[in-house]
Amino acid sequence: MGLGLLASRTLRSARLRTTNFHHLRRSIVSTTELQNAEAAQAQAEPSPADLPPRTPLAGARVHFPNPDDAIEVFVDGYPVKVPKGMTVLQACEIAGIDIPRFCYHSRLSIAGNCRMCLVEVEKSPKPVASCAMPALPGMKIKTDTPLAKKAREGVMEFLLMNHPLDCPICDQGGECDLQDQSMAFGSDRGRFTEVKRSVVDKNLGPLVKTVMTRCIQCTRCVRFATEVAGVQDLGMLGRGSGEEIGTYVEKLMTSELSGNVIDICPVGALTSKPFAFKARNWELKGTESIDVSDAVGSNIRIDSRGPEVMRILPRLNEDINEEWISDKTRFFYDGLKRQRLNDPMIRGPDGRFKAVSWRDALAVVAEVINQVKPSEIVGVAGKLSDAESMMALKDFLNRMGSNNVWCEGNGPQPNADLRSGYIMNTSIGGLEKADVFLLVGTQPRVEAAMVNARIRKTVRATQAKVGYVGPAADFNYDHQHLGTGPQALAEIAEGRHPFCSILMNAKNPCIIVGAGVFERPDKDAIFSIVETIAEKAKAVRPDWNGLNVLLLNAAQAASLDLGLVPESDKSIESAKFVYLMGADDVNLDKIPDDAFVVYQGHHGDQSVYRANVILPASAFSEKEGIYVNTEGCAQTTIPAVPTVGDARDDWKIIRALSEISGVRLPYDTLSGIRSRIKTVAPNILQIEEREPAAFSYSVKPEIRQEISNTTFEAAVENFYMTDAITRASKIMAQCSALLRKK
Amino acid sequence: MAHLIRNLKVPPNSASLEEARKRTFEFFRMACRSIPSVMDIYNLQDVVTPSELRSSVAAQIRKNAHVTNPKVIDMLLFKGMEEFRNVVEHSKQRHHIIGQYVVGKGLVQDLEPKDEGISNFLKNFYKSNYA
Repeated sequence: MGLGLLASRTLRSARLRTTNFHHLRRSIVSTTELQNAEAAQAQAEPSPADLPPRTPLAGARVHFPNPDDAIEVFVDGYPVKVPKGMTVLQACEIAGIDIPRFCYHSRLSIAGNCRMCLVEVEKSPKPVASCAMPALPGMKIKTDTPLAKKAREGVMEFLLMNHPLDCPICDQGGECDLQDQSMAFGSDRGRFTEVKRSVVDKNLGPLVKTVMTRCIQCTRCVRFATEVAGVQDLGMLGRGSGEEIGTYVEKLMTSELSGNVIDICPVGALTSKPFAFKARNWELKGTESIDVSDAVGSNIRIDSRGPEVMRILPRLNEDINEEWISDKTRFFYDGLKRQRLNDPMIRGPDGRFKAVSWRDALAVVAEVINQVKPSEIVGVAGKLSDAESMMALKDFLNRMGSNNVWCEGNGPQPNADLRSGYIMNTSIGGLEKADVFLLVGTQPRVEAAMVNARIRKTVRATQAKVGYVGPAADFNYDHQHLGTGPQALAEIAEGRHPFCSILMNAKNPCIIVGAGVFERPDKDAIFSIVETIAEKAKAVRPDWNGLNVLLLNAAQAASLDLGLVPESDKSIESAKFVYLMGADDVNLDKIPDDAFVVYQGHHGDQSVYRANVILPASAFSEKEGIYVNTEGCAQTTIPAVPTVGDARDDWKIIRALSEISGVRLPYDTLSGIRSRIKTVAPNILQIEEREPAAFSYSVKPEIRQEISNTTFEAAVENFYMTDAITRASKIMAQCSALLRKK
Repeated sequence: MAHLIRNLKVPPNSASLEEARKRTFEFFRMACRSIPSVMDIYNLQDVVTPSELRSSVAAQIRKNAHVTNPKVIDMLLFKGMEEFRNVVEHSKQRHHIIGQYVVGKGLVQDLEPKDEGISNFLKNFYKSNYA
């Protein structure tokens, strides 16, 4: 008989005795030693100091603004240095200890109402809520003592008291904080025998489904709505057990970031309405990709099941989208299932499309392109094109002898020579350092919701001033409307405007020009005025570049980097052969009636009505492609689902067509085309790194253009429907019907 | 007919192109001889005529007319024999025969002339997006 067996015998007998004892008392606490917390605490002797070093939780970093302010605290005996003002919970995170929490969220204000994060602090009579308690020098924090465990168990019991037992039909099941934490910290029985309360569900619109009985009143959604989204829609009603989250009056939640409350809700009270009862999270395959619905390039995770995209979630990227995404990004995925082109098609003499094989379709296109004059060939890249396909399109048309290739949204004469003239030089993260904003012809709330969230964050944190020139628009922060046309700009440039002094006194002024200005005939004059203002306000310095352009589409920055600039701006009126690579927003009336139009794309959208040949391509969720966002950061999408039908990747179609047309492009693989891109724009291959532009406004030729009196126009008509995929989406259609601001 | 087919074996390799050629013709004749019974088995009288079926078989063979390696011809013959046996033994169903030899020629089997002189990229492109 070994020593181990002996030991287990004694243990077993001891446990037997205690279970009997419990049977008589019928206690709630499952862990026996918690019965007598104080006695057990006396037993636990302080652990020795030679603890192994711990790694901070989830890559938590300590930033010391002032090295003198560092204080030392002890977490479970392990010393950590934290800056003054940090909370106990944050100190524990740095020490590598995860404190259970419901109401605390690092990007929201501290509420301290869930009490789940209770820890024991030496010389404190009661357990303290670690999320709300500032760490003090020499504090001895104990996170794993019987007292802390008992406190958590008690809190869990109270939370579960009124929480329904509907996990099997709850969409949060499997990714629910309450579920996980009740497994980890909860008791195995409850003492509550009365009837659970029930709460009326609220209608928050077509995106967020509510089951308010599940709510644990953590108020994360209320704080998110008021602090990050900037809408005062959600609030807390009632007191005690009558406490409810809701819109005060019958009202929909009208924020462009409302989908994020689904992520921050720790329970299943707020879930995604389009995703309701569609899938369980453990069935889904996550693919880390990039959003293309605007020029921000938010980092997303595409959750798919088989060939279907089931949902889209944000991915953490502090420099771009933090951990939020806009509603368009989150919910436009159902457009990927509708209106898809799946076969090559040729329009017959009767005007109807007939599905043909790739051989036939490419042969027809190659025959026509070889018959027209090179100067009559025109190529337009669409809003959602990746860098590889735009490179292939430009190379192909150049080899055919044409140089009329551009990307839609860049206007008639885009400036692609100076990179600083079309990207966001401050960078999205850098906006937080600005103290005065001047928005010129841009409405960031609809053009780039994540950039707007950044500006709002800055305005909220530092009371930065915002001046806006453009048509009447909706802002979710304080701003001054300076005027509607370029005249207001001229006044600021000449120093006649009251906003001028604010701008001159600013330490880090930030000027953002919307890409809608690109379409104006007097855009050069406007840019030169903006540059004058920037010069006067000292917005462009070696240590700060505050002159920005906010682009609208995912393809724009890469297209300008690659030099997709048309030779003449009237080329489309005289074209005989038009190649539309996913371009759905070109003015189709301008294309002559006898022109041969090839549409290559993934959705049967506007341009298909005019096309003679359709070549089906893959959407962003199905291909690997590089996109450069508005701040000049190149990122790549990863295929999450297979292509639809007989579709092919965009660059492959152009490569195949080039071979049949007799001007074979020299690359056969994605890496081949990337090494070609490297010779044109090496910055595009710096994946996930922002390549700042070397700024040199001085080398720009002098502008002799006069500004016109026409006022600025809104660049985005409808936030929810901007491209082929979002226009095909049913959810986006519902959103535009219900939530669009008129 | 049936006993003839049952006794079919994998023949030894053709020694020369001449022998392979002879075997090909033998195979074609055997296929032609089986056409009436195939029409009977699969009830094809009202969809196709024997001569159409014959030319369909001939087209399948001509598709590989450019092959000169006797080993490759043997392999193609073997595959043809396999298919032939499946047809005669009623291992297929009516819609298979109609799909492959009567209507959509080229849908199931690639009846187009082999892509001569095109790059591997284009061959893969025609096949699928993932190659």
